[in-house]
Amino acid sequence: MPTEAVPFKVKDLSLAEFGRKEIRLAEHEMPGLMAVREEFARSQPLRGARITGSLHMTIQTAVLIETLAALGAQVRWASCNIFSTQDHAAAAVAVGPDGTPEDPKGIPVFAWKGETLEEYWWCTEQALTWPGQPGPNMLLDDGGDATLLVHKGAEFEATGAVPEPADDDPEEWLVILAALRASLAASPGRWTATAAEIKGVTEETTTGVHRLYEMAKAGTLKFPAINVNDSVTKSKFDNKYGCRHSLVDGINRATDVLIGGKVAVVCGYGDVGKGCTESLRGQGARVIVTEVDPICALQAAMDGFQVARLEDVVDSADIFVTATGNYNIITAEHMSKMKHQAIVGNIGHFDNEIDMAGLARLPGVRRTNIKPQVDEWTFADGHAVIVLSEGRLLNLGNATGHPSFVMSNSFTNQVIAQIELFTRGEEYPLGVHVLPKHLDEKVARLHLDALGVRLSTLTKEQANYIGVPVEGPYKPDLYRY
Amino acid sequence: MTGSNRVEASDPGQVAVGQARIGWAERTMPVLGLIRDVFEREQPFAGLTVAACLHVTPETAVLVNLLTAGGAELHLAASNPLSTQDDIAAALAASPAVKVHARSGVDRRTYYEHIHRALDAGPALVIDDGCDLVNTLHTERQELLAGVRGGCESTTTGVARLRRMAAEGTLAFPMVAADDSRTRRRFDNFLGTGQSVIDGILRATNALLAGQVVIVAGYGSCGSGIAARARGLGAQVIVTEVDPDRALEALMEGFRVLPMAEAVPLGQVFITATGSRDVIGREHMAAMRDGAILANAGHFDVEVDVRALAELAVAVHPSVRPHADEYLLDDGRRLILLAEGRVVNLVAAEGNPAAVMDLSFAVQALALAWLGSREGLAGSEGRAGEDEGGGGEEGPLPAGVHDVPSEIDAQIAALALASLGTEIDALTPAQQEYLDSWRQGS
Repeated sequence: MPTEAVPFKVKDLSLAEFGRKEIRLAEHEMPGLMAVREEFARSQPLRGARITGSLHMTIQTAVLIETLAALGAQVRWASCNIFSTQDHAAAAVAVGPDGTPEDPKGIPVFAWKGETLEEYWWCTEQALTWPGQPGPNMLLDDGGDATLLVHKGAEFEATGAVPEPADDDPEEWLVILAALRASLAASPGRWTATAAEIKGVTEETTTGVHRLYEMAKAGTLKFPAINVNDSVTKSKFDNKYGCRHSLVDGINRATDVLIGGKVAVVCGYGDVGKGCTESLRGQGARVIVTEVDPICALQAAMDGFQVARLEDVVDSADIFVTATGNYNIITAEHMSKMKHQAIVGNIGHFDNEIDMAGLARLPGVRRTNIKPQVDEWTFADGHAVIVLSEGRLLNLGNATGHPSFVMSNSFTNQVIAQIELFTRGEEYPLGVHVLPKHLDEKVARLHLDALGVRLSTLTKEQANYIGVPVEGPYKPDLYRY
Repeated sequence: MTGSNRVEASDPGQVAVGQARIGWAERTMPVLGLIRDVFEREQPFAGLTVAACLHVTPETAVLVNLLTAGGAELHLAASNPLSTQDDIAAALAASPAVKVHARSGVDRRTYYEHIHRALDAGPALVIDDGCDLVNTLHTERQELLAGVRGGCESTTTGVARLRRMAAEGTLAFPMVAADDSRTRRRFDNFLGTGQSVIDGILRATNALLAGQVVIVAGYGSCGSGIAARARGLGAQVIVTEVDPDRALEALMEGFRVLPMAEAVPLGQVFITATGSRDVIGREHMAAMRDGAILANAGHFDVEVDVRALAELAVAVHPSVRPHADEYLLDDGRRLILLAEGRVVNLVAAEGNPAAVMDLSFAVQALALAWLGSREGLAGSEGRAGEDEGGGGEEGPLPAGVHDVPSEIDAQIAALALASLGTEIDALTPAQQEYLDSWRQGS
């Protein structure tokens, strides 16, 4: 693992030209971000912000990063998943629009596709390390890993030691503990100081938001957070419409199996699960849903899906997708009972929805790599399952994640949340907040022109009749869309 | 013999109601309207007697009025003992050119009596829906066969019977399988029946289909339409089939496909659309869930074995709702049979929507005019196999089952587009030449 300070670390700077071409195409498909750049070009609301981002280093994220920079921020970036980086995107960001591979002038980015866990946490730490400056004053997180490193670092600095790992701790936790042990030894007090400097974090995804609420409840949260995930223009669009697009894309690129006529099991019927079931059904699969929440289960049933327990259908389905945000959904035992060459993939944020470690521990199991992010796992009895992206989110690992237009919605929320926390921090006390509804509506508004949508306008009388301002917000906070 | 039986409609006071409903149907059947303009001018049926056996609905009335406007003398019997709408029968009976022999809720004997009365005048052309009229002609009224130039058959079931008659060499005149036209299969079966069968079940039960497990037996052009619409309402649809092609198609559309015996314990609503018999039999009923709803979308009442159900039941509560009978089994389970196992979309709802019947009846009207225009009568010498030859441009058609001429299909689609104000492209001469040639490749 490299330890010397470097300005950035990506796979191959020569990919920058290709990355820049794709960024140019993506900018056209991300009208929200481009509108924000235009709106704030003069006022530069993020001047003075030092933003550390931990978010999938894709082409769309490149447009986000350059939008933050265009609003005056300094930015350092890592990916939030070992497989999700698009190397040409990382290269283009490092080189920058005005640099060349020989003379890069871009933004410090630490990300490449196929990092080891050690490399991953090194990258995260690099993004949090601001040479010559007192660390970041803003975090932009996706899954909460940057937030976690700062909080755990500060916690261990307070207790004076990094705890010893337990026997059954996941492998990744051991890597985190090792990284923090080295950090505490090298620069004691560093994370405590970093935490104090940070004005707040804007969190992208369900899993990270869940962590934040847990910390807030436990009283351990050290700075205010904006839950970007639960903006309507994020969760509905990114989770539902984005996954609807990219799930099937990922399965097709990985396996090219005909989805029509197959039986697919989707675990979880939240926004992500709803999008997944819709796209699989659209391809002609018969979709079965598993759920623990009676409301979501009832929704699935009312939408015409069979709702079953995984153990009752595990031996008859062809495709399995986890979308729960929970862990140990598909166990090694489940996989051992699946049909020969059943396809197993996860679209939830973390790789613990499918018990890959348990699979690897099964006696006599054999792994055969078919191609990148596609593995055949053969059991002792000779039958096999196909696991996508090693159980990590397959829409990013096997395809290119959400399309630009969807990401424009969620990333415009991110930029607005960063502006809110950085410029109006006094309105966001310690705790977890969602963006006010008028900003959510603003994000949607910024995307209408690109689709040729002609919005109607309330008359004054109509607005009075339902008791809302003519210009919105139009719905009560609890409205579910 | 004709006059006395003429108005079998039960309540002439319903004439005004029936006429208003026929007027409504006319407004939603623009293609028949366009054809009527032509028929009124050209009188293709002048001097011809037509015997028709059709469901007596407002849409049928529009067809009947169109044929009489074209000069026909028309004798109408019902094609189902339960499907007659009496106000429509009454309104039609008020027209001097139409003799109606139909009333709702008749028994089997009266049903066939009505068919005989419609045949009494000695038809030159026939329209059938299920082949009961053509069957009666060949078995009990053979003296009339020589006068028949030909006819049309509306349903899949009827066409299947005709093909068996043709194969045996029994069919004495040409019959056009109106059922087999592209227009009909897509619009009438998939769209029309698909929608109206669901409509019938909803009216009869008021059940929420979302979340229910609906078993659709048969994935032909009707069953696939029913399955698509049940899914659209949020039902979980399971298909049963005997044909591997159709079963595979259902599977590829994402439906679960099971043998009926395995589907039975899962189903809450059962819909038969096979054209076959005993699709749901005693052993199936014995294994059904409490409250299961049984409906038939097929033409005849043989798809659900109603007799077996009656034998299985310890008590029957007729008409717990209109068109819904509750059968109580000895263990306390109740099974709900809709429309007595007869075609549910016609009995419990209003049959196919007028816009769909518009196209379907347009096929019949033009096919009938095409048959009527062939001067030579199809004599016994023409007893060729089915689908044989076109019989020359204007010569007599041989006896047998004939497809709808593709020009009629294209003509109807063009009329429908015109009625919807939709314009389409035409091939350029260069494109036509390219499509007609084989020399030009990559």
